[in-house]
Amino acid sequence: MTLPDSLYRRLLVWLLLPLLALGGLMLLLAWSEARRTADRAFDRLLEAATLAIAEQVQRQDNKLWLDLPPAALKMLATDAEERVFYSLVDQDGSLVTGNAELPGDPRGDTESDDIHLFNDIEWRGLPLRQGVRRSRLEDWRQREHFEVRVAHTREGRDALTRELLRGNLAYILAMAAVAITVLLLAIRAALAPLTRLRRAIRTRDPRTLEPLTLPLPRELAELRETLNDLLARMRRVHANQERFIGDASHQLRTPLAGLSARAELALRQEDPARWREALFAMQTTSARTARLAMQLLSLTRLNNPEYHPDLAPLDLNVIARQAVRDHWSQCQRSDIDLGLEEPPDPDPLIISGVDWQLTEALNNLIDNARRYGARCITVRTRATPPTLEVEDDGPGIPAELRRGMLRPFHRGNEALEGSGLGLAIVEGIARSHHATLTLDTDQDGRGLCVRLVFPEEAQ
Amino acid sequence: MSTLCHWLSLMLGLWSLASLADESLHYPADPSAGPPHTLVINAALDLPQAEPVLQAFHRLHPEVELTYHNFTTLDLHQHFLDAPDAADVMISSAMPWQYQLANDGHAREQLSANALDWPAWARWRHELFAFTFEPIVMVVRRELDERYGALQGHADLLALLERHSRELSGRVVTYDPARSGAGYTYAIEESRLSPRYWELVAALGQTRAKLVDTTGEMLDGLVEGRYLVGYNLLGSYAREVVAANPELRLVVPDDYTLVIRRLAFVPQHAPHPETAGRFLDFLISETGQRILAEQTALGAIHPVLNGPGTAEALRQELGDALRPIDLGPGLLATLDDLKRQTLLMRWKREFSRYNALMP
Repeated sequence: MTLPDSLYRRLLVWLLLPLLALGGLMLLLAWSEARRTADRAFDRLLEAATLAIAEQVQRQDNKLWLDLPPAALKMLATDAEERVFYSLVDQDGSLVTGNAELPGDPRGDTESDDIHLFNDIEWRGLPLRQGVRRSRLEDWRQREHFEVRVAHTREGRDALTRELLRGNLAYILAMAAVAITVLLLAIRAALAPLTRLRRAIRTRDPRTLEPLTLPLPRELAELRETLNDLLARMRRVHANQERFIGDASHQLRTPLAGLSARAELALRQEDPARWREALFAMQTTSARTARLAMQLLSLTRLNNPEYHPDLAPLDLNVIARQAVRDHWSQCQRSDIDLGLEEPPDPDPLIISGVDWQLTEALNNLIDNARRYGARCITVRTRATPPTLEVEDDGPGIPAELRRGMLRPFHRGNEALEGSGLGLAIVEGIARSHHATLTLDTDQDGRGLCVRLVFPEEAQ
Repeated sequence: MSTLCHWLSLMLGLWSLASLADESLHYPADPSAGPPHTLVINAALDLPQAEPVLQAFHRLHPEVELTYHNFTTLDLHQHFLDAPDAADVMISSAMPWQYQLANDGHAREQLSANALDWPAWARWRHELFAFTFEPIVMVVRRELDERYGALQGHADLLALLERHSRELSGRVVTYDPARSGAGYTYAIEESRLSPRYWELVAALGQTRAKLVDTTGEMLDGLVEGRYLVGYNLLGSYAREVVAANPELRLVVPDDYTLVIRRLAFVPQHAPHPETAGRFLDFLISETGQRILAEQTALGAIHPVLNGPGTAEALRQELGDALRPIDLGPGLLATLDDLKRQTLLMRWKREFSRYNALMP
């Protein structure tokens, strides 16, 4: 089962985990401290017992002798009724007397000044605490070392440890409770601005694109600024669209008004020849208007970010040949030299694209070139990378103005007829084909060369 | 260690008057009573004293096939060391030895309701349970009373021995602490109680007291009239003999009375620990203790019992004079090899103090 991700939970986990680890560590420390304290207290008993025994050690019949005082053993057994063990070992390490062979001092350094040793040992599976006292029998002639070892089980120590720990435990638990409560409150308080931001966004008028102004902590203020940046971009897009609509309606109104005026003028005439003349003019205008409307529609469609055309494999050479064929007679009439250059390789130039869009792009480019006074137009294809070029020897566009030319309704020369949409549409088509559009001069640095470079076809 | 073992075997062999032969009781299981259980009790407790409790337990749990072996304390201890997984319950009056086994971790913890309620002075941890209360007594022939006045305590005995050592020569009997574990245990306890004990030992030496190994021997000599005074007899055994022989009188000393307590435990490797626990629980239950009080001379400990034959009754009679041998690590000191040698040397020295002076 996976819980939905949440900031609250993340904070809680990442703060509670270290807190719990810390609490565990404190418990561990408290336990070891309690154990040390209990051991210190009970080790005094071991010390006293070894002393009581060592005092009774004497030399008799040329060997170590001990009259074991029962009190020494009794003091090792507290209320907890510990098991008690003792042994007296001579300087060779052999047992003189005792009820258990205790391991003794593992350091084996009998000359050390430290005469006491307390250590934890295990004897026949019983965990014991051992106290060792090194001592020396001071005789007139001889000095004899011996070791008194006593040990008892840990029940009394454990009971004292538990008692000490219980006191500390209440302390630690109370602290943990306070810490967790404070933590929960703090997380809640820290996340409150997020809720405010959410409410502020939710209660906004959906039509407004005004920036958010509510005060927020630094981290959320960054989010607010990012949101405001987005809103600002949306405002600019919005303004562009409105200008486009305004321009478009203006562009359509002018020829329609012209048509209307021409028709009205013609109706006042009686002469059918004039009518005929007017009808010719009206036909030209309406054709141009229809073309304009179509261009506007396709531009709108191309500018729609949601528009993803179905790309199909097609041959660039076929498209280029067809475009040249379509424009051939028109150019012949205007005395323009329209040519086609293909790579020497006879293989088809396959790319993914929409044929009518590419045809439209070529139409626009050839039309533009014609309209701006080119005498020679060359449509060219290249194989690697797949490229489509239209080159003319017209006036060209100065480098600094080339970017602007791609905007709708932007005309290089206001005096010339034309919608100003041609290059904008070509740019939209290039975008929908993931192709790169560049404006350049021809090899000689004159005229205009519009180049569409398509991505390499992934085989 | 080897000297200790030698000494142990010597002492334990002479510990009690339990017969040397392997005595047993067997109670077969009643198959109609339920799934059969087995229980093996190894004890140093004479059959007549043990029988009433065993019978009562078997009546209560007829499904248990009960085998009771009576050993001397030596055999019992040695048997246990040889095969710690043979017996389900160990019973012995040799308190230091029982304590040593429990101290070394050979006893299993018992947490039944009765075990948890058992008074702290009569148990060690919840492993070793004292279930009897047996005073150490003197037995005198009535002719002694008639001649020298009634003997009531140790002070009387000391005065008697010092005043009439010649007349009583050879007519006093007691344990030999060198050969008897029981005698040694009493000697070490009494020497701790008072330094005057050594005067008593010296006086016993002066009267050339006979030193024997068992309570039984002392009782036999007293019944036959060879001895006039027996010192330090196990009260539970003496009581019946005295009751059967009107010429004898039991003296529970009124200045101080040592009390030994029989100790029982369930060995760590008992083959049937559950049944063993049930038997031990019965032994210290009110029912079991009442049987001890009424049908044996062992003396019951259970705190609610206060009639004749109970520790409570003895306490009311003797008050502060009772000196139960402490059930604690002091018993380990009793078993110390060097300590024993030290005590026995002193004992011998005191015993022959006056004899050495005499020609």
